[in-house]
Amino acid sequence: MNIERSILRFLQPRTVVRAHCDLPCGVYDPEQARIEAESCYRIVEKYAANDDTAYRTRAIHIKEERADLVKHHLDVLWHDYFKPEHLEKVPNLHDLFWRANKQVSKVKASTDLADAKQLLALIDEVDAAWKATGGLEKTRMAGRPG
Amino acid sequence: MLPAIWPGDWLVVNPRVSAWPRPGAVVVFHEPISDALAIKRVAASPGERVRFADGYLTLADDEAWLTADASEAEAAAAGFGPPIDSTRFGPVALDRLVGRVLFRYGPLRRFGRIAARAVRS
Repeated sequence: MNIERSILRFLQPRTVVRAHCDLPCGVYDPEQARIEAESCYRIVEKYAANDDTAYRTRAIHIKEERADLVKHHLDVLWHDYFKPEHLEKVPNLHDLFWRANKQVSKVKASTDLADAKQLLALIDEVDAAWKATGGLEKTRMAGRPG
Repeated sequence: MLPAIWPGDWLVVNPRVSAWPRPGAVVVFHEPISDALAIKRVAASPGERVRFADGYLTLADDEAWLTADASEAEAAAAGFGPPIDSTRFGPVALDRLVGRVLFRYGPLRRFGRIAARAVRS
């Protein structure tokens, strides 16, 4: 056996310590939350216009799923995109996300169109905060439509 | 911990520490949240005030503020995501401290003390 190699093996550390970073893709856009929230809005409309029990059950189930996705997208923006320094431009940021997420919970439990509409308004506020902090330029690839 | 410590470096760690070393020291600790063994630099000692969000935070008498050497922009330039440090997981309590890094013994061409670095807080 090579003595050099055995000395090296003896000296080699047995514990590995990490200095890790996370690797986010860095692409964020409130539009994702908005699309799911629009789904909730439309489902509430369709729910009201249909008396079929099976259809209504299915509509409620899908609304739950879409609402969960709204929460997910809002949370990703809140936890990953927004940084402490953004609070200077958007001082009510935490309150805004608190209200938006609460509103999603309300939409889950409700078949009132006004609740779904209020959620869209709150997501538009998040969108304004994202734009005010340069989100459009910083996180989307150039050539984003619209 | 670039540029002071590189992936694959062999480090000697003193586990017989009973208090947070002075700011500037590099320490091994159990990361809050994930509990993984992690390495970072002490940026502020117990009792100090650190800048956080849009205000300040006063560390308790057993807490330190640990930061990566690279800023978010520097980490991005090196191909990594934002560093996970106290700006992410907050102050670290003393019972999470494992040891203080003394020096590097491998690779041999970089044997010696860990480079000092102006502390960010």
